[in-house]
Amino acid sequence: MAFVLRTVSHSAEGREIVRTSRVESDRLTIGRDPACDVHLTDLAVALRHATVDRRGSRLAVTCERGLTVELNGRKMGAGETDVATGADIVLASHALRFMPAPPAATDVALNVERITGGETKLDKAGERLFSLAPVMPGKRAMAWLLFLVVLGACIGWPIKAYYDRQHRAEAFARFQADEIWSSGHLSRAHAALQHDCSACHAKPFESVRDTACIACHKDVHGHADPFRLARAQPDLTAWGRLQLRVKQAFDLPPGRCIDCHTEHQGQQAMAPTPQHFCSDCHADLTAKLPDTAIGNAGDFGKAHPDFRSAVITGWDGERPILQRVPIGAHPREQSGLKFPHTLHVSRVGGVAQMARTLGMGASLECRDCHSLNPDGVRFRPVEMERDCAMCHDLSFDRVGGTLRTLRHGDPAQVIADLRALYGGRTQPRPAILSPFARRLPGAAAGDRGETRYIRFAGAPGADAAIRAVFSPGGACYDCHTVQAPPPGSLAYRIAPVAFPSRYIQHGWFDHRSHASQSCASCHAASRSNAAADLLLPDLRTCRTCHGGERTSKPVASTCAMCHDYHRDAGAPAMIIRQRIGAERRQSVARLEGGG
Amino acid sequence: MSVTRGIARTTLGEDARHEGFLRHKSFRWLKVALALCLVCLVAYALIDQQPRPSGGTAYGYTLGTVATLLILWLTMLGVRKRAMTRGRWSLKGWTSAHVYLGLSLIVIATLHTGFDFGWNVHTLAYALMLLVILSGIWGVAAYATLPEALSNSRSEMTRPQMVDAVVKLDRQLQMAAQPLADADTAIVRRALADDPFRAGVFRRLSASPRGCRTDAALAGMRRRLALATGEEAEALESVVALLERKSAALARIRQYLRLRALLEVWLYVHVPLTFALIAALAAHILSVFFYW
Repeated sequence: MAFVLRTVSHSAEGREIVRTSRVESDRLTIGRDPACDVHLTDLAVALRHATVDRRGSRLAVTCERGLTVELNGRKMGAGETDVATGADIVLASHALRFMPAPPAATDVALNVERITGGETKLDKAGERLFSLAPVMPGKRAMAWLLFLVVLGACIGWPIKAYYDRQHRAEAFARFQADEIWSSGHLSRAHAALQHDCSACHAKPFESVRDTACIACHKDVHGHADPFRLARAQPDLTAWGRLQLRVKQAFDLPPGRCIDCHTEHQGQQAMAPTPQHFCSDCHADLTAKLPDTAIGNAGDFGKAHPDFRSAVITGWDGERPILQRVPIGAHPREQSGLKFPHTLHVSRVGGVAQMARTLGMGASLECRDCHSLNPDGVRFRPVEMERDCAMCHDLSFDRVGGTLRTLRHGDPAQVIADLRALYGGRTQPRPAILSPFARRLPGAAAGDRGETRYIRFAGAPGADAAIRAVFSPGGACYDCHTVQAPPPGSLAYRIAPVAFPSRYIQHGWFDHRSHASQSCASCHAASRSNAAADLLLPDLRTCRTCHGGERTSKPVASTCAMCHDYHRDAGAPAMIIRQRIGAERRQSVARLEGGG
Repeated sequence: MSVTRGIARTTLGEDARHEGFLRHKSFRWLKVALALCLVCLVAYALIDQQPRPSGGTAYGYTLGTVATLLILWLTMLGVRKRAMTRGRWSLKGWTSAHVYLGLSLIVIATLHTGFDFGWNVHTLAYALMLLVILSGIWGVAAYATLPEALSNSRSEMTRPQMVDAVVKLDRQLQMAAQPLADADTAIVRRALADDPFRAGVFRRLSASPRGCRTDAALAGMRRRLALATGEEAEALESVVALLERKSAALARIRQYLRLRALLEVWLYVHVPLTFALIAALAAHILSVFFYW
């Protein structure tokens, strides 16, 4: 028995070269070892890879331990087949074909052929392999993918959020996709609207309209009559006209709320309105509106009309006549009171002495008589009982340990009380009637009381006392204008006293903000001899610290510091926002300090 | 003046002198771009933008429009480069303008923002634009420096020759390893299956020999050689020598691939991000007018 080997190879031209050899044995060894019957020069083949044994009409294939061959298409370590059917064995790059033969044949023929070339993948390495293209996703595919992803995330998703909102009654409480379109945080005042773009941006591709603002800000009134506002607009330069034209082309009508109140400027208080929004019209208002009562104002430091204070210029019977007069015109105030400031704040003299005696310091201070309102903005009206009576005592009688006082503000009652004093007593005691006769500790006071007693003891009772009270040197006369009674009567009357509750009606002034300054730096009380002096600071005094929007003065002051576009009374919005901001910062500092 | 070989006798026009796209027409587009930046900077300094500088002021809208038109025009290079022409609007001139005007966008778009950034589509578009420009700068730097290194790395070989060297060494290894024991051939076979082109982009960029089976086989064979004697030692010795040569050939290919990757990789950032940028730009502009 023998195996007939036909080793087939191919020349470079593809011609088949066959070498035949014969193995005279029942056993055929296959391997890389040159000693093997079938010597395969392939490193994938083991030195001794497999054996094929002829057992009668059967062929048995046996591999070395752990090795396999492909027998008739199946991978196996050992197998058998009939000589009659032949067998195909594939081993690495070689195929061994056992030709079918009659079961009794002596020889079994087999073809040995290399079926895959020795070439590796590198043989096919083309120019393209050197470039990155084979190992990268395609540029075009990546480009379109990214394009669509960004388009979906930044356009599709927010537009969906917009339409979702259109079908909901209440506002969303959490993040909505169209917020990624927001150019910046809303101001603190509008923070609640951050998830509700449509609150202001009502319609797509339509600019924000005032209706959106007015929907919430219902009671904010305009600045003036719209027709007068329109007339007051400044003449536009060619550049301004062009800007207006462009704005209108882009659906940005002029005069909207958001022209001044710009939003999306960050999580802060709304920025103060710049001065030019006011000065555009007010710098030359009289030219546009000749009938206006308002003076031209372009900049506080450079162009601002004199302050016009409300002053009581006279009386119509019991009613004060209030007029607005420029402070520079030195108006005289007809308050009906007599009061020399200079005497009261003097560091020498009787008043200072009195202050020292009462333990109020070296002399009277402004605050001894004038007290701030709780809000710190203005002062409480001076009240006789609270602010004057500690010195200007009206007591006229003592019953036991109790002093009886004349009733302030009621001359008829004063007259009645005095009459009762004289009518009801056999031994009249002197009333301490003069404003200069105050209850004073010490012996000197007693002496003065005695003097008074001698003075009044000679007078004919009540009539004299009443006359004395309302006459020079009397308790009323020193401070008030006494209206003489008709002849033959003692019905003295006191002229009414009044002060404006607010001197500067259309500008804001907050005393607390000026606490670092002394009162005298603005109010020249120490030089005022008469109550008629209006002790208000003029424009020049304010300008020692305040300049315009851009100034070298310590306090840059835009119009919004004292005036408000929308409100007439109360603090301007800018001041309120500043104060809220300051308080918030303080509380934050406290919290942080405490933590 | 250097003359291209072989055409010494032809009449050489102005264009024949090699002038890269960076120095095109004595930096004409660099000057244009600088002038553009200067105008924008001076305007930014002089114009009082109320309430504060941002894309939403007249100045901001103007610069935004300029920047958008520039971006769209710069993108057109992708179309334009497919048609190589000379002359007044040559591709070289176009590329030069692309580079310098693209760089000027850093100034124009930054001034357009007014330094007002946030987590929104507007800043996204800006960030994407900067990434595109940065990848472009990478590209310019790569084109300026790498081609020379690339041809040096081939050490006078063509690309097919580089591969051929490896293929030939593989054949020799096949033969030289025939006498080796089965365990050794297994190691050599793994080295034969080595394919330097299988490396992904990061492996290519690093040119790292890490995981190189030829190097692993070389180390293994050296260890075997130290213990072997006689005929086996001779066979191992020749295998080791061949593996050493293959290792060097592979390292050369890897180095070449690294340079090629460096030269090409920026475009895989530049082009896709440009498309992302155009989408973000569309969202940026649409969002402004949608919520006008």
